[in-house]
Amino acid sequence: MNWETIRVLLVHELRMLVRDRRTVILAVGVPILMIPIILFAAKWINERRARTLEETVYRYAVTGTEAEQLRSTLARAKESQARAETEKGKEEGLERFKFEEVKVQDPAASLRNKDIHFYLEALSGPQADALPKKREKEDEDEVAPQSDSTRKEILPVPTRLPGVPLILIYYQGDQDTSQAGEGKMRDLLLRERRNGRDAILLDHGFPVDPLKVISIADKSLASAGQVTGAWVGRFLTAFLVMFLLTGGSVVALDIVAGEKERGSLETLLTTAARHGEIVAAKQLTIVLVAILITVIHIANILAYVTFRIIKMPEDFVIKAPPGTVVTLFLLFIPMAAFISSILLMLSAYAKTYKEAQLYFFPVYLVNLTISFAAVLPGVSLRSAIVIVPLANVSVAVREILVGKFDWPMIGLTFVAMAAAAVWTVRASARMLSQERLITSSEADVADFAGGPALFPKHVLRWYALLGVILFSVALNVPQMATLRRQVLFNDLVLFLAGPLLMIWKYRLNPKEALAFRAVKPAVWLAALLIIPSGNLVGIGAFRLADLVIPVPRQMLEQFGQELTPPGMPMWQIILLLAVLPGICEEIAFRGTLLYGLRRKFRPAGLAVVVGLIFGLFHVAFFRIIPAGFMGVVLTAIALFTGSIFPGMLVHAGNNAFAFWAGRQGYPLAGLNWPLYLAALAIFGLSFHILYRNRTPYPDLRN
Amino acid sequence: MNEPVVVRNLAKTFYDEARGEVRAVQGIDFECRAGEIFGLLGANGAGKTTTLRMLSTILTPTSGSAEILGYDVVADPAAVRKSLGFYSASTALYPRLTARETIEFFARINQYPGEKVRERVDYLIERFGIAQYANARVDKLSTGMKQKVSIARTVAHDPPLLIFDEPTVGLDVLNALEMQEVIKEFRAHGKTIVFSTHIMSEAEKLCDRIAIIHDGKILACNTLENLRRVTGVHYLEDIFVNYVRGQG
Repeated sequence: MNWETIRVLLVHELRMLVRDRRTVILAVGVPILMIPIILFAAKWINERRARTLEETVYRYAVTGTEAEQLRSTLARAKESQARAETEKGKEEGLERFKFEEVKVQDPAASLRNKDIHFYLEALSGPQADALPKKREKEDEDEVAPQSDSTRKEILPVPTRLPGVPLILIYYQGDQDTSQAGEGKMRDLLLRERRNGRDAILLDHGFPVDPLKVISIADKSLASAGQVTGAWVGRFLTAFLVMFLLTGGSVVALDIVAGEKERGSLETLLTTAARHGEIVAAKQLTIVLVAILITVIHIANILAYVTFRIIKMPEDFVIKAPPGTVVTLFLLFIPMAAFISSILLMLSAYAKTYKEAQLYFFPVYLVNLTISFAAVLPGVSLRSAIVIVPLANVSVAVREILVGKFDWPMIGLTFVAMAAAAVWTVRASARMLSQERLITSSEADVADFAGGPALFPKHVLRWYALLGVILFSVALNVPQMATLRRQVLFNDLVLFLAGPLLMIWKYRLNPKEALAFRAVKPAVWLAALLIIPSGNLVGIGAFRLADLVIPVPRQMLEQFGQELTPPGMPMWQIILLLAVLPGICEEIAFRGTLLYGLRRKFRPAGLAVVVGLIFGLFHVAFFRIIPAGFMGVVLTAIALFTGSIFPGMLVHAGNNAFAFWAGRQGYPLAGLNWPLYLAALAIFGLSFHILYRNRTPYPDLRN
Repeated sequence: MNEPVVVRNLAKTFYDEARGEVRAVQGIDFECRAGEIFGLLGANGAGKTTTLRMLSTILTPTSGSAEILGYDVVADPAAVRKSLGFYSASTALYPRLTARETIEFFARINQYPGEKVRERVDYLIERFGIAQYANARVDKLSTGMKQKVSIARTVAHDPPLLIFDEPTVGLDVLNALEMQEVIKEFRAHGKTIVFSTHIMSEAEKLCDRIAIIHDGKILACNTLENLRRVTGVHYLEDIFVNYVRGQG
């Protein structure tokens, strides 16, 4: 590395960025100006709204057979309110609710015409009993707030008992003042009901004031610093990732894609600067700009906090001793390098600046989602998450900020994040060395040729579409909620009809695209042996991994267990969950997907990619990795044999084996280690047989 | 093997997802002697640009070898790039830099001695007559001025070898003629020049030796006089057609 060259390149990149006035104004100037404007506007709107709602005299009407009694209640409530205001004063938060009754002929019409803010209908007990159930809004008690779901489970929300009179409040939910008036009236009536109830109790000889029966208080044992740390820790990494991505993108999208488009990249690549030096300079530029913009945004926000434009809670205390700051800093360095490399790769992958912009949003969403891992309840750094880049930093930061320093796991987090950063840095350097950066236009002949030539370019889009349909249907179509319908839809519509549609649209040779090729007889023996051994090897591997990093129980169990509806006949299980997936899913994944990707990756990478995509299609989170493992095994079989048929047998056999073991109650995830080792030996032997009898998948990338 | 450019059995096969293997250059051999203008003459898609890109290390050869001033293009690409200046009609300048900054940047990035950079930049600004626009941003310059800045940045580090890939494409007659004059002047200053073109008159006027390249193969490589003698036709256009049709 020639540092002088890197310095020259860095200065050059920064100089060009600074001279791009529009970018500078949009990335730095506009947010700096916009944030205070937005905050002031929001503050002004909120204050004005609060003032308006407070000053409003709420007009209402009263109807119903019990209207007179309700009027008396409201009159008492008004007196109580006036008394309370005099006694305690406004400073204790007792807002004056000003309301006046209006005589109207048709309360509903008056409400619609905004003549009144709401109206009350007072019903006797029998009238209320006669109401259709759905008409009444649930009667709430102030001690059981609706938002607290945990409490609701402990304290059941009271429901109206038969014969109890009912007051219905009608309001317009689309009108702010009507909604606010309803809320205030509701609180007033609840308060008045409590006062009335207490008075009745005292009148009937209740020995003490009901308010003095018991008092409930709570006390958090966590310090204010820990509470703040837990809150800040949940979001800090995600916010940093957001700022780094948006800040870095200001320069990253243009740094390769823009240069490529303008033609200056070729000029740069013919200079004496090494590719490593160019990548280093470009990454430094992205990191510097990302950090600078992040710092500007944070300083901007801190300024508003300091000047109390943004009000933080009174007990907001951040405790960050030097050790904590240094640890966080050490975790954020590889994270920043990782993000800048991702952005650089994105820019290098895109042919144009516009294309880079298109890729940015999904990349942004994925990274941001992962970095929100700390928000997940119950996720600890001492779990498999420690090896997931960004998610591990997110969880580590949360734990560090509440004062929990699990040093071995923090160390592992740093190593995993740094390894990911190194890998992405190297990958981005490799991408900058790719000839397609210079020759990309020469590869677009396929777009004109269409047909089979175009399929490799479009294959991933098709599978993305299948994935979207699969998830959308699973989540949004209740009719598909049954296992039978879901399996039939996924296998027949998506995994069978989908590939057939691709074959038709791109005029593919079906035999080639689906790898319908005969294999040597010995291959079938190997396939039969892989069925149980592959299953057990997968479980054994994850149990082994579990000794080092805890693997979720559900993940282990998913290897040997499938959930089937109780009472489902065995023939249906075999047909729907073994035979059908064995045929249809193999056609989709070891058929058209493998065919489309065969020249995009080398064989090892191809097996991993196809296996991973296969895993991702298994909707349940804990099934992704076990299914992905089987996907890799099945792809490897297809690559060795050049045929889809052995994979079909293994796939169907594996599913049937898992269901059979589950039904029989065999604890596949709890066997003795020698059994797993025996399975490994059989598994190895099976692949040895496949290797010796190989008829490799044709036309692979070497 | 003391020639500045020695190419042996050089081949480049592109891999394209859709088209499969594309054999752009198929085992070519040539040498370029010190101080000469060596022309690669061929139609569009003949393999000229791919060959020159391999020489400038932007593309890696699939097989064969190429040495630039004794440095192998695969083993020591940085040393190769330091020794050459690459000019192509498709290469562009940085629009937000001034002409002076552009020349200075390329001198520094190509490791021209730091203490001499300013002097070199001043000389090139003077030589190419861009003093009046030296501090104007490149995106404000006319096509002709941009071309001058491009040539100046190509020779900013005073390399002994210059590669010009179709330098006159897109230029008007006057600018094209000026480009030809500049190339001749570089030869007069002892530079070795590899030059590609599909314009016969340019090759006739400029090149000391010409290699006719077609479908990734060199069909002939000689001086214009010798090519005339071998083919028995006078004009380069006819010589070219003679070789290409004969090959076909």
